[in-house]
Amino acid sequence: MRVAQGLKAKWFWYSLLAVLFWGAWILCSKLGTNEIPATTMQFIFAFGFIPVAILVLITKRIKFEKSVKGISFSLGNGVLAGIGGLTLLAAYRSGGNTSVITAATALYPLITVLLAVLVLRERLNWLQMIGLGFAAAAIVIFSL
Amino acid sequence: MHLPPWFWFGLVTLVSWGIVGLLQKLSTNHLSAEWALVWLAIGFFILEPWLYPGKTLFTYSTRSLAWALLSGVFNALGAWALLAALKSGGKASIVTPFTALYPIVVVFLAPFILHESITGLQAVGIVCALIAVVLLSTESSTG
Repeated sequence: MRVAQGLKAKWFWYSLLAVLFWGAWILCSKLGTNEIPATTMQFIFAFGFIPVAILVLITKRIKFEKSVKGISFSLGNGVLAGIGGLTLLAAYRSGGNTSVITAATALYPLITVLLAVLVLRERLNWLQMIGLGFAAAAIVIFSL
Repeated sequence: MHLPPWFWFGLVTLVSWGIVGLLQKLSTNHLSAEWALVWLAIGFFILEPWLYPGKTLFTYSTRSLAWALLSGVFNALGAWALLAALKSGGKASIVTPFTALYPIVVVFLAPFILHESITGLQAVGIVCALIAVVLLSTESSTG
């Protein structure tokens, strides 16, 4: 009953779409790096964001938000996400197994959680503590 | 211990995206998720002068260039779908771990599209990583 309700919910289908889109992003990245160097891949990648960003602004008709802090954090996000994307592409180009590299780099919440504890003074819940153990196990296995 | 060549590149990705996760929390305290996405996209372009490949850009096959552009479009669409899921009533504590499962799509499609297979040990590592990602993405309490 609850499962059926979940399947009717819009958020479920949007979440599934996100999973499929990001899966497609990885596969396209790997296929591109077979020929194109990581820096050029990242250069072209950024242009892929333009139509979606314009679509978000047009369809939502959202007003400009003037928050220097918010804008600075988001711009910093773009730079850091770009650097992370660049090294991910370099990892794919180095010839490692795509599934392994994707799963290993998807562990980034590990760093977010640790930083949230250090910077935002958040406390870990017990599920996150178990998660840290699984992340450590995964990293050890991948490094073998 | 012999670390594979991709390991250090992957580590930089892990750390930089980990910081992005934190900055995202901070940026959406001041901006709507939509504007955060738009400024993130603009942030990508700050790096462009250093990445600009010059005339060599036109020496690659159209197919590879299309893969590169599509990778950006799909990444952005994934971010948009995540926003839409959160806007349409999905709880962050459920939606975030759910969407973090995108490596599953790669694991299932890689043998057919990339002609890559994984060893038993790598499969165990991937399962551990997926469990870790889901558990780590659950919301923590502010102390």
